[in-house]
Amino acid sequence: MTQDPERPAKPTRVGESDLEHLPPAVLEKFRRARGALKNRLAEETLDQWAAQGVAIARKTVRSWEAAAEYFDASPEVQRQLPSGQFLRWARTGASLCDDSPSLAVAYFRASPGAVLRLRPRYIDDWATIGRSLYRGTWKSSALSCRLFESAPQMLESISFEEFGQFGTFLEVLSRRSYDAAGECLAQSLELLPKLGGDTSSFIALARAQTETSWREVKALFDSASASLPNLTPQHRGPLLSLARRLVNTRGANPGNALSDGAAALNAIPADQRGQLLQLADSLAAAAPAAAPEFLRSAPSVLERVTFPQLQEWQAEGAALGRDNPDAATAFFRMESARSEEILDALSSGIELSRVSDILRMYCRALAAREIDIQASQQLVDKHIGWVEGDAPTTEGTTIYLPAVVNRYTSKDQNFLWFKVISTHQTGHIEFGSFDFDYERPSTMFSDIRPLLKAGRNRDPQQPLTEQRDTPRQLNPEPGEGGIETAFLTDMSRFFNRFSDNQLALDVFTVSEDTRLDARIMHEYRGIVKPYLLTQRNSIEQRPAIESLPARQALLEFMVRISLGQKDDLRAPREHADAARKVRRLVRMLRNSPLATVEDTAEVTIRIYALLEQIVNEDIPEDEFETIEHEDSQAEPQEGGLEDFDPESIAEQLAAGMQTDSENQNEQADGPEDDAGLQYQAPQEVDYRGEFKPELGQLLSQLKFDQMEGDGSGESMQPISAEQLQELMKSSAEMELEPSENGNENQQSDEMLQNLMKELARREPGNQNFSQGPISHVDEEGGPLQPTGRNSYVYDEWDFRANEYKPKWCLVHEKEMADGEPSFYQETLSNYASMVRRIRKQFELVVPEMYRKVKRLEDGEEHDLDALIEAVTDLRTGHTPDEKLFWRRNKTERSVAVAFLLDMSASTAEAIDEAKRGPDDWAAPDDPVEYMVWLRSRRAEGLRRSYKRIIDVEKEGIVLLVNALETLGDDYGIYGFSGYGRENVEFYVIKDIGERFSAMVPRRIDRIAPLHATRMGPAIRHTTAKLAAQEARSRFMFLISDGRPQDRGYSREGVEKEYAVHDTRMALVEARKEGVTPFCLTVDREGHDYLKTMMQDFSYEVLPDINLLPQRLPQLYRRLTT
Amino acid sequence: MATQTESRKHRVEEFVVQSEPFYVPITDEVEIFEAAYRQKVPVLLKGPTGTGKTRFVEYMAWKLGQPLTVAKPEAKRAADAPNGSIPLVTVACHEDMTASDLVGRYLLDAQGTRWIDGPLTKAVKVGGICYLDEVVEARKDTTVIIHPLTDHRRILTIDKLGEVVEAADAFLLVVSYNPGYQNALKDLKHSTRQRFVALEFDFPDQEREARIIAHESGVDDESAAMLAKLGEKIRNLREHGLEEAASTRVLIYAGRLIEEGVAPRRACQVSVTWGITDDPQIQRSLDEVVSSIFP
Repeated sequence: MTQDPERPAKPTRVGESDLEHLPPAVLEKFRRARGALKNRLAEETLDQWAAQGVAIARKTVRSWEAAAEYFDASPEVQRQLPSGQFLRWARTGASLCDDSPSLAVAYFRASPGAVLRLRPRYIDDWATIGRSLYRGTWKSSALSCRLFESAPQMLESISFEEFGQFGTFLEVLSRRSYDAAGECLAQSLELLPKLGGDTSSFIALARAQTETSWREVKALFDSASASLPNLTPQHRGPLLSLARRLVNTRGANPGNALSDGAAALNAIPADQRGQLLQLADSLAAAAPAAAPEFLRSAPSVLERVTFPQLQEWQAEGAALGRDNPDAATAFFRMESARSEEILDALSSGIELSRVSDILRMYCRALAAREIDIQASQQLVDKHIGWVEGDAPTTEGTTIYLPAVVNRYTSKDQNFLWFKVISTHQTGHIEFGSFDFDYERPSTMFSDIRPLLKAGRNRDPQQPLTEQRDTPRQLNPEPGEGGIETAFLTDMSRFFNRFSDNQLALDVFTVSEDTRLDARIMHEYRGIVKPYLLTQRNSIEQRPAIESLPARQALLEFMVRISLGQKDDLRAPREHADAARKVRRLVRMLRNSPLATVEDTAEVTIRIYALLEQIVNEDIPEDEFETIEHEDSQAEPQEGGLEDFDPESIAEQLAAGMQTDSENQNEQADGPEDDAGLQYQAPQEVDYRGEFKPELGQLLSQLKFDQMEGDGSGESMQPISAEQLQELMKSSAEMELEPSENGNENQQSDEMLQNLMKELARREPGNQNFSQGPISHVDEEGGPLQPTGRNSYVYDEWDFRANEYKPKWCLVHEKEMADGEPSFYQETLSNYASMVRRIRKQFELVVPEMYRKVKRLEDGEEHDLDALIEAVTDLRTGHTPDEKLFWRRNKTERSVAVAFLLDMSASTAEAIDEAKRGPDDWAAPDDPVEYMVWLRSRRAEGLRRSYKRIIDVEKEGIVLLVNALETLGDDYGIYGFSGYGRENVEFYVIKDIGERFSAMVPRRIDRIAPLHATRMGPAIRHTTAKLAAQEARSRFMFLISDGRPQDRGYSREGVEKEYAVHDTRMALVEARKEGVTPFCLTVDREGHDYLKTMMQDFSYEVLPDINLLPQRLPQLYRRLTT
Repeated sequence: MATQTESRKHRVEEFVVQSEPFYVPITDEVEIFEAAYRQKVPVLLKGPTGTGKTRFVEYMAWKLGQPLTVAKPEAKRAADAPNGSIPLVTVACHEDMTASDLVGRYLLDAQGTRWIDGPLTKAVKVGGICYLDEVVEARKDTTVIIHPLTDHRRILTIDKLGEVVEAADAFLLVVSYNPGYQNALKDLKHSTRQRFVALEFDFPDQEREARIIAHESGVDDESAAMLAKLGEKIRNLREHGLEEAASTRVLIYAGRLIEEGVAPRRACQVSVTWGITDDPQIQRSLDEVVSSIFP
């Protein structure tokens, strides 16, 4: 703004009359201001002031508002400014009013606050900054006003210089978008004051960003607001300068760099932050785009390696970045194999994902069951009662292990840890923790269980003696009458016998783990060494016995014995006798490798009875004594058990229950009850992990009952929600996650729902879990008719009705359209070495195929055997056979094979999801960005940067076709998909009998994901094709990525089963036609349904889709030679 | 296990099983075989490799009081067996084996020609057990000969001589085959299969297998028990990536190596793990099982 020429104020007195035509408020404000100023200003100045006000008021129709603000602000402003400056302030305002009265309004209104924080000489500049935003439009004026209004607040914490920079930035941005500028301004009010000394560098960053890509500015502010305030100044500066570097870098986003950087810094220890930033900075010099990726990956990498190792990793990546910045980006984004390799080599930790295949087989070998291995967090995420994401555990069918183990400094040790914990968890399954049978006698004890009374009277009205319980599938206990309480599991029935179920569970857990450890070390001698080492390490981590109150001290004493501690075992002197008994019992389990879970239960009862009598009170350290060594040789197996009289223990437990239910506070026969502290469960032994016998038995029983079928003849009753609720209420196992709002009811309801779902999942035959009666959702309509020359109808198998639905599916056979031959060529060159290898393997088949055919009338050479025979015949006077030649002949091998390719939509799935951020799929809202996005998507359509399942299937086919051509087998390649039963599409890529031609590669190129997977009709159609062949051996290779499914190919409640059964039936039909089917699937979940579908057919589940191109020819060779 | 220090030559008719072959019956297979032998019903032995099929036949030959003759089709020099005793003729079938390899053929000699009986003919004539091992491997034309021998006719047609030989009473045809191969091309035809009573062989239980291992390899009972346990654990993985389970034979080999002083883990690795799979992942899993069992 140009300085107004100094105008002499009007000499004439300005009176109130000049303001009379304006709204009365103006006059009133004028009077009030003049009253305030009269004594402070010289008369001349006062006149000039008043005249300025009137001048402002008269400028335009609306300028009276500015005048009113002027009068309002004047007394305050005047207090801060000398007269000259004061009038200058007024003139500046007046000139703003020339531009726009609203600007003047905002200026005057903000002035009292602003002048407090502005040097007087800056007032003009301030106005200039504000005015610079004004371009005569409504939006610009609004923005400008807001900047004026924001000034007092902003200037509180930033310098005027910074304010100026900010104004410039805003001006630049506002040329692009007032809205964006307005939002940035709003955020700045919050943000800038928090930036301290870095304000100006942030503004510079924002301005630079505006100039390169203004659309990102808003996001930059968002991430800055979210991240920068949380950083200490010493890290903020470097991070900002890093972001500044990225502004002009292709592919980098400074905003993300800020938020990722801040998140990374906050996730790592404070003393490493500075160094990390230095590393990022030095990386940015070589490959700027890689720096934010580095920051983002750093925290997770630091979980695996130490900081110096991280530095090595960074150095490797940076070196890479000097030649090829893109490679560095991938490197730090953890998308390069090299990066993984380096980290893997550097770190001593082991990720579960790397060893889960090994462990899965290992555990299956040990337990002889279909055990799966998963990360513990997966079980926690089901919210069915498990809460520890890092502890090993099992629910009877799957073993859950921590995702990463990094306890030791070497990989070998960490792997051993994995092995020990999975062996222990497998032990639960192998050695029957969940097979507990309440009625089954123990092997070492005279059983107390039959003497125990049902307890934990849930209904106080019900006298204990009349209560009776029945576990599922068991007959009611004889003798007593009364109400039946059905227990879901024998385990629940057992725990019901104790008044303190937490204590019972803890004792049971320690006892059972002791038994398993003993059993495992007995059965698996090789693992004893690492096992003992693990136990020793565990002992070191135990809390001191003396630090615990009495009952817990004894339990801790028990844990330590179970871990093999022999010396220096301390127990309260008062309870030394009980301690010795506990020790004897635990040692019995330790020394009897063939003990059963029922022995564990008996031990639990006895130890529980001991501990129950001990008051959980604090005991001074000097009241502890070391329990002396007993001669373990002299320790009797069954001896010493006379201490435990079954009758009296049963009575004691019943009494405990009685008191419990009668009155919490009343004393039992024990002389000193209830004086103790709240009992706390012992610290978990880390290698043993979590153990939930009730849940485990519940979940595994269902699973394995299911497997074994209904052979037992006992009908299993469905589990009701009430029963589950009962279990959850009574069981000490159901841990709720600690929640802030204390909303435990809701949580337990959710858990109940989850548990029901989980149970339903395990019990597919149990319809009681489904929402309603089974409804038939098949499409209406009857048999179909072929609609054209290339359409065929097939029956479909309905396994519920146990009969075929006649002419149910219509298959349309089409020739695949032609594509480009490049895919074929590229695949062959990409897999050049594998192609050679496969060819070699297949050539080994060829000699077999070109087997010598002997006894021919004409051929390559004389057959020596035949010749000798002929000579002998001549000599003996017989007519010799004329067939004296042999020839290599091709006729030996007579194979026709059809490859049936699943072209369902799911094959479009990218193989490595991680490589593709979810945002790649989401269309941006902004129209301009949308166009960019759309273009890039279209471009991708031509040259996809990621691989889909179908691409790998296609590659496999290419390699196979190539190999088959060496072999000379007759083969056909077909794809199928479709939607609904009347529209099964069957694509011919190469028909059987068709010669390989240039068209085949072109058609392969066009194989693409389409719709659903109705396998049955496709298999039937292929069978029909194969059946027409005269070859001696006929094969069908089914290559799929998942279970069959289609509209109407299922029914509610029996959903997937229908499709699976129809497919199976189609395969059976194929076999009847003399076709040998083989199914190759990449669905890792495949084992479960394939077991049904492919029962007594051959199939293979590929653990890794990338193996397919390699595996397919191998399988083919093996199956057909 | 007694080790022979030098090879000894026997004329076929002189060779008899010196001592009882070690065989641990699993169920009633011995009784069934004896009954079948008495009733002249051919026997088919099914089962994976290394489950003791061949040993069983040897044992039965001994049990039935037969001396034993092993004749490879190539070495067909067997003279008539000594008076009264009947040889057990074992023929390992291979894919180039033709009917005349079993039946016999003319040979040239300086003066003229000489007919020589094949192993099957010999067994038919003298009345012994002819054991065709892995019969599916043989060429299909062999079935033409087998069929008339295995039904009520019990005859062997020798085209070349224009003879038909009626089998001696003591003759019995025993064939073995391993249905475990995932190979659709090699399967017994039903018309062939249904001429035999079938005995299924599977791996013995842990305790029996331990006894067998201990006996055959000479290792101490504890190691034998661990080897048997290893066998069982590995067999748990059938259908989980392993095509063939560890046979008793490889366990015995491991036992022998251990007996020779090879470290147990290493012995198992070379004889068991590497023997049954080439997949590094599965090898690793098996190694872990081995290292859990063997200290």
